[in-house]
Amino acid sequence: MGIFDMMSISASALSAERQRAEVISANMANAETTHTDSGGPYVRKEVIFGATGGSMFHSVINGLGRFSQAPAGSVQLTQVVDDPTPPVMHYEPGNPDADASGFVAYPAVNPVKEMADLMGSVRAYQLNASAVSAEKQIVQESISILKPS
Amino acid sequence: MATPPTLDALQGYLKVVTERQQMIVSNMANVDTPGYHTKDIDFQTAMRQVMDGNDSVRMEPASMELQGLPERPDGNNVNIDRESLMLSQTQLQFQLGVQLVKREFNNALTAIKEGS
Amino acid sequence: MNNVSLGGIPSSYLPEPSSLGGAEGSEGLDFGAVLKNAVQGVDQLNKGAGAQVNNLLQGGGGDMTSVMIAVEKADVSFQLMMQVRNKIVNAYQDIEKMQF
Repeated sequence: MGIFDMMSISASALSAERQRAEVISANMANAETTHTDSGGPYVRKEVIFGATGGSMFHSVINGLGRFSQAPAGSVQLTQVVDDPTPPVMHYEPGNPDADASGFVAYPAVNPVKEMADLMGSVRAYQLNASAVSAEKQIVQESISILKPS
Repeated sequence: MATPPTLDALQGYLKVVTERQQMIVSNMANVDTPGYHTKDIDFQTAMRQVMDGNDSVRMEPASMELQGLPERPDGNNVNIDRESLMLSQTQLQFQLGVQLVKREFNNALTAIKEGS
Repeated sequence: MNNVSLGGIPSSYLPEPSSLGGAEGSEGLDFGAVLKNAVQGVDQLNKGAGAQVNNLLQGGGGDMTSVMIAVEKADVSFQLMMQVRNKIVNAYQDIEKMQF
């Protein structure tokens, strides 16, 4: 398994974390959206991570050939799912989106929780970015073997 | 005085260190994956495998799941701080290996040139 | 095992002559055969390193560090061989100058 596989793994993580951050940002931006095109309030979304890539065994066999699949240890967002939590009802009879009893349905988005998730996502992103730096350094060190020291 | 390790031993060392780094990078990538458990390489076993010279199809090169790490509610037990620390460690180990390799080659080249 | 060592250079850089083609049983070494094998050995190292580099360039998930080490090994072997060649040529010229 080579150095380029490592970069691919870290890249997959960076991509996944970034997508997660996007979903979280969408949640936060729509925390007050009571009316969407499909009717009803905005539905909060969640992401699900999954490990992907072949097994380690495949990696060894494929060692000399080209990889057609992600190297073992990669990660990706397998699903973006709707949060089944029912919307929060507020009593606002003057609101055009109010239902018959005067209640307005707000998305079940908790800004504090979303913020915490976002920070977790950022931290994970930084972690994997530092991994990429380390991988670059390995390549440079290897190359330096050829240079007269 | 101990004799310096040969080039082959160093090559094996660098290989093991690189594989360990791969584990760590995978751990970092899967820090948010539910149910993922930290993986690492049993250094002693791996070095012994390499020294014995059998590096043909090695299925799971002495990789293991680390015990004793607390699990979060989603089943993930990857510890960000531990992985960062291990990453730094493997980087230093790699540098060490490369420096020793370069020294080996330098010695050989010096001996060759001095003879002229 | 023949330990051809020049000034203490580890003999691993001079590929071992696996056979001394035609000199079996004679008292000394057939120097020509030794040389020929050495050259072939260096050539082999070179070709091996070249193949590894090719593989790396084509994106085969190869171990980059091993490739670097193989390349450097081939280079050092080559330099050693050049020095050996120089010494032999010098020695030959010295002998030529001898007057009887």
